[in-house]
Amino acid sequence: MRLINIISRLFRIAGTSLPGSRVLPLALLALLAGAGCVFGAEPAAAPEYRTFFGLDPRTAVWIVAELHLLFGAFVLGVPMFAVIIEIVGVITKEERYDRLAKDFTRLLSASFATTAALGGLLTFMLFSLYPKLMGFLMGAFGKGFYIYALFFFAETFTLYFYYYSWERTKNKKGIHITAGVMLNVVGIIILLIANSWATYMMSPTGINPETMKFEGTTWEAIYNPLWNPVNLHRVLGNLVFGGLVAGTYAAIKFLVSDNDEDRAHYDWMGYVGNFIAMSSLILLPFAGYYLGREVYSYSPVMGNNMMGGAFSWTFIIQAIGIGGLLILGNFYLWLGMDRIPGAERYQTYIKFVLFILVISFMIWLTPHNLPLSSEEQVRMGGQYHPTLKYFGLMPAKNAVINFMILSTFFSFLLYRRANVADAVSVRAQGNMARGIVLVPTLMIGGFILYYGLWLLTVDPAVLDLDASKAGYFLLPGLALLGQVGFIALAVVLTFKEKGRLGQGLLFGYTAINTVFILGIYGFVVMAEASPLLRNLAVAQWISLLSCIIVNSAIDIVIFRGAKSLGKLKWGRMPAISQYVLILLSIWAVLTMGIMGFIRSGLRENWHIYGVLEDTSEWAFTPTNAYAAKVIGLCALIFFVLVFIAFWLAEMGEKKKPAKPAKPAASGGG
Amino acid sequence: MTYTSLSQEAKSGLSVVVFVLAVLGAFVYVGKVVTDVSGGGMATASTEGVSPEAGEAIYFGKGKCSTCHSVGEHGSAIRGPNHGVYGKFTEPMGQRAEERARERAAKTGQPHSATDYLVESLVDPGAYVVSGYKNEMPLVYLPPISLSSDEFKAVIMFLQSLGGEVDEKAINLPDKVLAAASQEAAAPWTPYLEGDAETGMELFYDEESNAGCSRCHTVEGKGGDVGPDLTTVAATRTPQYIVESILIPSAVIASGFEPYLVETSDGQYLTGVLKEQNDAGIVLKDANAKLLKIPAADIKDVAPQETSIMPGGFAEDLNVQQLHDVLAYVLTLTGEPPPAEAGEEGGDEAAAEPVAEEGAE
Repeated sequence: MRLINIISRLFRIAGTSLPGSRVLPLALLALLAGAGCVFGAEPAAAPEYRTFFGLDPRTAVWIVAELHLLFGAFVLGVPMFAVIIEIVGVITKEERYDRLAKDFTRLLSASFATTAALGGLLTFMLFSLYPKLMGFLMGAFGKGFYIYALFFFAETFTLYFYYYSWERTKNKKGIHITAGVMLNVVGIIILLIANSWATYMMSPTGINPETMKFEGTTWEAIYNPLWNPVNLHRVLGNLVFGGLVAGTYAAIKFLVSDNDEDRAHYDWMGYVGNFIAMSSLILLPFAGYYLGREVYSYSPVMGNNMMGGAFSWTFIIQAIGIGGLLILGNFYLWLGMDRIPGAERYQTYIKFVLFILVISFMIWLTPHNLPLSSEEQVRMGGQYHPTLKYFGLMPAKNAVINFMILSTFFSFLLYRRANVADAVSVRAQGNMARGIVLVPTLMIGGFILYYGLWLLTVDPAVLDLDASKAGYFLLPGLALLGQVGFIALAVVLTFKEKGRLGQGLLFGYTAINTVFILGIYGFVVMAEASPLLRNLAVAQWISLLSCIIVNSAIDIVIFRGAKSLGKLKWGRMPAISQYVLILLSIWAVLTMGIMGFIRSGLRENWHIYGVLEDTSEWAFTPTNAYAAKVIGLCALIFFVLVFIAFWLAEMGEKKKPAKPAKPAASGGG
Repeated sequence: MTYTSLSQEAKSGLSVVVFVLAVLGAFVYVGKVVTDVSGGGMATASTEGVSPEAGEAIYFGKGKCSTCHSVGEHGSAIRGPNHGVYGKFTEPMGQRAEERARERAAKTGQPHSATDYLVESLVDPGAYVVSGYKNEMPLVYLPPISLSSDEFKAVIMFLQSLGGEVDEKAINLPDKVLAAASQEAAAPWTPYLEGDAETGMELFYDEESNAGCSRCHTVEGKGGDVGPDLTTVAATRTPQYIVESILIPSAVIASGFEPYLVETSDGQYLTGVLKEQNDAGIVLKDANAKLLKIPAADIKDVAPQETSIMPGGFAEDLNVQQLHDVLAYVLTLTGEPPPAEAGEEGGDEAAAEPVAEEGAE
């Protein structure tokens, strides 16, 4: 108790009087005490499992861990969001960005305390319900647990410093932004440490195959094969999540606002949240593919279980989640175009984008194995539909997700340029403008060139293919060289003041290349040189990425300071748009839950995959129905807790929404 | 207080709450629908015995072979070569193994049988990689799959049965497989929970309960006769097999209880267990024990089915305790009377004749 008081006093010295100042020390002590218990325990005497008040310990841990993860994603995602907005405010010299960043940071305080409390509860539960597992993890990670706890202190201090120094450093933005960046660095380190435990359970290293004991170093355990893929996925995911929860907050405030001024403010706030979320969401499928590929590389058994085994239908639910996020994100952008003078010029494109999205979404969802009754099989002529069976295969999925991302990016560009008249001269902007286009172009173009040449020259034996399969490498190699050619053409046209034509050509080639040429070719590769399929997918991804990067750079330059077609009518949004924002964050929470269920469930009856078996009565994979109930319950609890946290955060505040100093004048927000 | 008397702010807040609940409810419903259409049989179970049939169950179950390979039209995996006749594979695996063994023998001058090739393909998958496929097959006798030596043999026998000669004696397992298997075999199977046989019996015979097994199964003459008689099932089947049969009824379908689909000339589809087939027509018994007599003239097509007529979804309908209660009762069905009863009735005379049903209860 004395130790708690000492730590609490330290917090008070740091200037905090928020709920977290007492909860966090308790949570940290839970972690340290739990670790101490295991270090000091006699493994032989300890039971392997305990129940949670007589209830199923697995579901109890599942719920608490998921809530902790959701809150963790929020308190790590929102600071990223806040610092980005603060930097935008400094660059644009618009104070409303600064106030928005501070508003969201204020919301963090109560959420941070809840995260810490859930973390403490989770620690207690893990050490008491799964002592054998935690003993094994302590053996592998050793004193890393204590370092984790110390970083929590660092996170607390940097968060409170960032928030409470806001006004004092008003004229020293460099210091304040540095503090914000430090807050994010510490937060990401915490995330990386926790990820190392979760991923170690999936892809353990340093194990003696004879004794099944851990004999490696702590670093080996941390740097396990799935660590970086999960890190990348979660960092991007957190940014998406932070933006979406911020958007939801704004949407609810918009709906309950009773005057136009407030609605204008919260409409803008929702737009900014959604903008940040969508910018990251576009990149998330790349990270997801990387993670899936590494899961497969580590263990084909686990990989197959994910795509074609016990979780293949869970993947369909996840696909609904990912596709839904993209479609809803587009829908919100289209609704938002109604408040932009000049956007009517682009309305006609929306129906085409919608058509592409719907068709792609349907293919994205098509399972390879259709659940058919005997009668239906007889009517169809077999287990597989003669045409639909192709839509269930990986090449089709790769093609349509590329098309959906490309369409979303197209929608975003329409939105971005909706309010501006004509492109401006690149030449008149000088070398700076050229640099903005050339630097990212050279980086991504150089990588594509390297990968294309590698495909054209590599020995097929590298992929376990014999020399007769070398011909299959030709088309993707040449397609990538073509992509480089079109990138170069787009840049040259931009410098010749024909940037929009360059963008269009690059868009067109990328769509044809990634969706149709390489997409359809994937079926050939799958049948004749299946190991090459993964490289083909990489070729598709990098082509798409290059289109996004190069076209964004061109867009920034050719519309920099372009003439506006009128003031944006912030607040003039239908109520349905706000429900779309709310739905986006619910959808994200549920998709995160499903992804977590798959990632953890892939271990099946193993705590540590292939090393430490789950011998409890709960060593079976729950059905999708059960998982949906648990995930739905977690989402409900999360939203209730977030509501309470926001309400608490606002209790001490007078009603003073940060009004936009001036309604925005540009389409880009 | 009525809805109309609420402030605009409260109404909007209430709408948001209803909206969130509706979305979460829809999500839970989607999860249920997906489970209903795809089958809830995600629980792990294993099959014992050394036979091609057991091998097939392992191939499509614990062994996870079917997550990479298909057998002709059975299965949809394409990452590994198809083991049946499909596409560029014009011979089934058993025949292919014979050809490859001949090639190997001619090349090395050493005797090499088809079975040797099959064993090698599981013990050392990289020794021969089919052109166009990656050398990435895991070792199935090691964790996480951990096939026992009997399971390993059963899978080989299943592969032999695909166009080749089934011969258990030809299977020589290398020492490393036997060593790994002996480690895995250390712990005997025990149920996860202690079930109550009496409660299980009540669930078994209560036709209104979620179990209601007696609707279709008979024990000592009591119950329906759509599925196999279970009077001696515990004497002839392992507990793992029984668990699998409850949770995944189609994993192994009892001999004599294979379902058939009949398409009639007027476009009807009838499913049931084939009871009789002759020149006059077909007699099916459907899931409600109703006999369906279909004259030969009305039959357009007849096809065996891979899905048992036993309903699935017990993993959802029964909770874990109920499942173990039913299991505890079924495990008492050895055909032997309980000890006290046996004393009264004069011991072993009361033992029923073993029933040679094949499971899939």
